[in-house]
Amino acid sequence: MSLRVLNPNAEVLNKSAALHMNINAAKGLQDVLKTNLGPKGTIKMLVGGAGDIKLTKDGNTLLKEMQIQNPTAIMIARTAVAQDDTSGDGTTSTVLFIGELMKQSERYIDEGMHPRVLVDGFEIAKRATLEFLEKFKTPVMMGEMPDKEILKMIARTTLRTKLYEALADQLTDIVVNAVLCIHKPDEPIDLFMVEIMHMRHKFDVDTRLVEGLVLDHGSRHPDMKRRAENWFFYSNAEQREKMVAAERHQVDERVKKIIELKNKVCAENDSNFIVINQKGIDPPSLDLLARAGIIALRRAKRRNMERLVLACGGEAVNSVEDLTEECLGWAGLVQEHVLGEEKYTFVENVKNPHSCTILIKGPNDHTIAQIKDAVRDGLRSVKNTIEDEAVVMGAGAFEVAARQHLVNNVKKTVQGRAQLGVEAFADALLVVPKTLAENSGLDTQDVIIALTGEHDRGNIVGLNHHTGEPIDPQMEGIFDNYSVKRQIINSGPVIASQLLLVDEVIRAGRNMRKPS
Amino acid sequence: MREIVTIQVGDFANYIGSHFWNFQDELLGLVEEPHGDPIFKNSSLDMDVLYRAGETQQGLLTYSPRLISIGFKGSLGSLSSSGSLFDNISPYDTTDIVTWTGNVSRCVAEPHKKNLFLQSLCEEDQPKSALYANDPDKQKSSPHNQIQDKDQVECLESGVKFWTDFSKVQYHPRSLYELCGSWTDVQKFDNYGIGKDVLSAGLQIEEMSERLRFFVEECDHIQGIQFIIDDSGGFSSVAAEYLENIADEYANTPVLLYAARDPGAYSFPVSQKESITRVLHDAISFSRLSSLCKLMVPVGLPSLSRSKLSSVLHVDDQKLFHSSAVYAASIHSISIPFRMELPGPTATSAYVSGAVDVGEIIHILAGQARQNMVTILDTAMPAPSLTDEHSQGSIHRNLHPLTPEVEEDDDDLHAVESLIIHGALHSGHHRASVSQVKDSIHASYLGGSQKPMFAHLSIARCPLPIPLPFPSIFGSSVGPHGELSGNQSEGARSRGSLEIDSIPMAARLRSSKAVMPLIEKRLGNLRKYGTARGAPGAELLRSWGFAKDEIEDMGEFLSRLLMVFDSHRDTSSDSD
Ligand SMILES: Nc1ncnc2c1ncn2[C@@H]1O[C@H](COP(=O)(O)OP(=O)(O)O)[C@@H](O)[C@H]1O
Ligand SMILES: [Mg+2]
Repeated sequence: MSLRVLNPNAEVLNKSAALHMNINAAKGLQDVLKTNLGPKGTIKMLVGGAGDIKLTKDGNTLLKEMQIQNPTAIMIARTAVAQDDTSGDGTTSTVLFIGELMKQSERYIDEGMHPRVLVDGFEIAKRATLEFLEKFKTPVMMGEMPDKEILKMIARTTLRTKLYEALADQLTDIVVNAVLCIHKPDEPIDLFMVEIMHMRHKFDVDTRLVEGLVLDHGSRHPDMKRRAENWFFYSNAEQREKMVAAERHQVDERVKKIIELKNKVCAENDSNFIVINQKGIDPPSLDLLARAGIIALRRAKRRNMERLVLACGGEAVNSVEDLTEECLGWAGLVQEHVLGEEKYTFVENVKNPHSCTILIKGPNDHTIAQIKDAVRDGLRSVKNTIEDEAVVMGAGAFEVAARQHLVNNVKKTVQGRAQLGVEAFADALLVVPKTLAENSGLDTQDVIIALTGEHDRGNIVGLNHHTGEPIDPQMEGIFDNYSVKRQIINSGPVIASQLLLVDEVIRAGRNMRKPS
Repeated sequence: MREIVTIQVGDFANYIGSHFWNFQDELLGLVEEPHGDPIFKNSSLDMDVLYRAGETQQGLLTYSPRLISIGFKGSLGSLSSSGSLFDNISPYDTTDIVTWTGNVSRCVAEPHKKNLFLQSLCEEDQPKSALYANDPDKQKSSPHNQIQDKDQVECLESGVKFWTDFSKVQYHPRSLYELCGSWTDVQKFDNYGIGKDVLSAGLQIEEMSERLRFFVEECDHIQGIQFIIDDSGGFSSVAAEYLENIADEYANTPVLLYAARDPGAYSFPVSQKESITRVLHDAISFSRLSSLCKLMVPVGLPSLSRSKLSSVLHVDDQKLFHSSAVYAASIHSISIPFRMELPGPTATSAYVSGAVDVGEIIHILAGQARQNMVTILDTAMPAPSLTDEHSQGSIHRNLHPLTPEVEEDDDDLHAVESLIIHGALHSGHHRASVSQVKDSIHASYLGGSQKPMFAHLSIARCPLPIPLPFPSIFGSSVGPHGELSGNQSEGARSRGSLEIDSIPMAARLRSSKAVMPLIEKRLGNLRKYGTARGAPGAELLRSWGFAKDEIEDMGEFLSRLLMVFDSHRDTSSDSD
């Protein structure tokens, strides 16, 4: 999967050549990612040298798959990936914006303008744009119960840029419900409490939300029941793996304590009992437990121990001595599902779910991986919205509005030639609506004229990617994350400025260490 | 049953692993072979220790290594990361895409061509045997295939580019993990700091840990983790982070660590800066890794062709395919006692003796008296026969270190060693019995000039089988069963798998003062370039994310590793 951007050779380039190399690298990367943008973008199927497939509609994943060797391109890619790491979205837009800033600058530099002047203009424009964003954003009141409709809109917008509409819409509810499930007012949202699991299923593309847990392992004993209702939990039995005869006795004693507790709490009702342990459980103990009708799962991952408590209540204990009825959690249904050697244990119908699982089914690994990426993006967009308490109208509406603001109001307040930097910045913003139009097979110039015209008349509009007509993003429910937009506006000009003010570039040299 | 999980991190580690698993696969194949040598059928080695039984979603039974292999994206050559076992390669047809109805573009990398050896494996697989990987040697005897075998061997000699090029093993889909490098040039992935960057995003180490959990969860009584790391570059810090995770999650599971480096890691540094980077890398890597395992075995000589092993082995140092085979054979030998099958706890067997598990061997070497945990690996490959007049003396004298930078003369009276001899010949090509080996070794311990303070001996009758994709590295004095004839004909072609079926092996882990120079050098460099006032590498270490006090702690740790040798000297008089 090597998409090379530029061919490296160890050499030092002088200032002007270095500048042009930077500009070309930025444009090159922009070209690779351009077709990805928006709901009409192109999905890319990458086939590796051994025939492995990677499927991606996501700028972030695509960048990570590329073998980039040009140092400038690497710098841009790092910024874009960092964008995704912190805010979960906007990679493609970042790369396009940096590329376009460089492209706009090139025009002026070729006319003899000093990069410093442009950079000054960028700085002014950036601050003005950020201020404008504060006024432009749509505040969302969160309070005790977040506004579910707006959360759905933001999730839908994101998901539809990654998956076809029907699938995106199905996932929209799942993603929103998952975040609301783990959300506690006034506490930061820990998305790790939403587990994302997958199952490979030849003919099935399906995703569902399990309010509770899905563990990717199961019981180890053939006699154990596979499905039963009403479970009690006990977790974290401390077990040693190495067993000498004397220790055997101790372990058996511990197992007996568990069985006693089970007999006590399950005697008067038709409940069942399950042990989930973070450490190993040896076969003799499994056997004892099984004979007492107790399901035992060993080697649960640490994070699942945490999630289990959040979903089922109770607490994880470190030794049987601490074991009391109060430590037990509860679930309405526990069942095991076996697919070949893969086992899954579902813990569902819990009373007070503060942890949940999104279960993805897909016919092959690359489909699953792509859906997983989309789900992650969707979750992040919902979390961002709750934390930002704001969203931003999408479909290019913000970019066109900000550009008009810069051209009509800001530019004239700037002294001298830095004005041109402001103008370059303003025009670069248009790369988003332009690319959205281009990817929809529309004439970019017509679209930009139509959009700016409406904005000049005071109507905030975005692009209808079906018709090319202006639409009201608010009405259509097309929203982007505020924090994502802000970061793009922030980081784009910083990188572009560094690339413009370059003195010299040492190109990646090869280091001949390994013998071949 | 006491399971072992194997972890390989880095390219050279995977080269070694590739040979290692070829030996195991060969052993499995030889058991099945109808007219095969009975020595392999009655090996009394329990392969379940290293392998796991499973089944595919289609219900096919599988038997595959309990293994996690970590490498760079692109280092798997023509092998798909999901392995070959669970046929998953769908026709990469764009109509296949069920998640997107819009435009699709395809970007297809030039496919890696399978070499002759891999092609013939594929052909054999047509009627896929469900259980073991098919064994190409089955056809060794039929004349029709003779030519083909020769071609296969030649194609490997002339062009191995990836460790997968010579692997005949079928891997579990969770075994092979490719690291995304975040655009680091593989060639520049040569120091501790760079490796740290690669894992910084966090999702990769999470996936690595998940895969490990999958294999560990299945184990009823895991005895330990066998960890092979290519510690010459950025993989050191990948491994260190992985080991940290392991220490956290599986505190009671001992880790036996082989820190390996290929001959290329010793090439002359191009600049002062590079040489500082390199010595600091070595110091940091060594101190981090040794602090995270129970027993550390550094292996990898600058040149095998100029080592003492070169009297019988003709290794081309330029070929990783060659040198890794020697290390793999020795690691295989060391692993033999971990899987000896005994009828009962006190029973004796005609096939094996001296079974120990990973925890016990660590205890023998590092847990008593002087607690040194950095041990030397020695090997005799092939091991000379017990009585042969051609072999220049006892097995002991033919054991040569594979650990670099150690003292040649070991006069340490407090050394502790664990020796494994398997497939030893009595004379000519007659195999020795377990008791013959035992007697001979005891005699040589008694007669030898230097005796270790404590020695553990393990013996197995089963020799090292030489699979088809083993390199031609044997000198002309080595016979079909590994017997040494003494008439080394000058200029004769090297021998390989076509001429040699199996060899006797001896390997030893030795805890001795002789390892001190290796540790001293790293400690010295850490002080000189890292912590001394105005040290030229201080800035570099900072850029790798180490604070000054962390470096000082590492120095402390290294001097404590050395202190065990001193402190024992003081107390030795009363412990005698
Ligand atoms: N239905 C839609 N119509 C028009 N534009 C849309 C629509 N949905 C999303 N967009 C726009 O697509 C862009 C995001 O595209 P995406 O492929 O997710 O790239 P990024 O990686 O930059 O997030 C945003 O500018 C957003 O406003
Ligand atoms: Mg997006």
